[in-house]
Amino acid sequence: MIPTTWFLILGAILFSLGVLGVLTRRNGITIFMSIELMVNAVNLTFIAYARELGSLHGLMWVFFIMAVAAAEAAVGLAIFIALYRHRETIDVDEANLMHW
Amino acid sequence: MFEYLIFFTFAAIAVIFAAIVVIHRNPVVSALALVVSFFSLAVMYVLLDAPFMAALQVIVYAGAIMVLFLFVIMLLNLAHTEEPITRPIQQFLGITGAAGFAITIIYYLLKAAVLHTGGPVEFVSDARAIGVSMFEAYIFPFEAVSILLLAAIVGALILSQRTSAIPGAKENGSR
Repeated sequence: MIPTTWFLILGAILFSLGVLGVLTRRNGITIFMSIELMVNAVNLTFIAYARELGSLHGLMWVFFIMAVAAAEAAVGLAIFIALYRHRETIDVDEANLMHW
Repeated sequence: MFEYLIFFTFAAIAVIFAAIVVIHRNPVVSALALVVSFFSLAVMYVLLDAPFMAALQVIVYAGAIMVLFLFVIMLLNLAHTEEPITRPIQQFLGITGAAGFAITIIYYLLKAAVLHTGGPVEFVSDARAIGVSMFEAYIFPFEAVSILLLAAIVGALILSQRTSAIPGAKENGSR
């Protein structure tokens, strides 16, 4: 039986990589994929704790997180398509209409 | 022993391909690397006695969401977009912040943050147990999620169509 801590550390590393992507990249789709990476790291943490505590509640949370991530991906990608139609780019630095 | 071998192999795969997602300049390569990372996370779920969640991970994430990403990347023809390095101070702050976050969270995980419940207990998480839990204790959130998905479909349609669906609104998508 692999200790829960190792799964938590793996989740922490993946989450930090997602944070790195959101903070340093400017391609909107890549930022979005980094967010998905962070969501998955949190899912891993939920399932690790579900096994540690012997409870199904963590798995239920993962199920709902997956549904919300699907909705978020659909709406977010639609926003990027609309942005591309207006600006011909998805560089998030160019989407500065509400900047300052 | 075999379990540990699988864990370290797929943990390494997950971390390496997650790094490729973040670092690589081509969004198509990023998306495919993310699919590999999701698959190795599904292996992690199997190791955590949650095979149903592993199946959902493969079907929903690797199957549906990533196909949506790839579809949008190829629809917008983003494979050749250049992303020149600008704003070195912000880049440096971002890398420093992410590294500091990782070091802090791993330090506290190793130190104290894990609950000590006397080891993992017997844990049934097959499709039957999940179904019973979902349709008894979690029936209201389940219905709420169905409405959320419907709202997401409508929102995606409205946002991505060329002309506005609102009667009398200014046409702004044809530029």
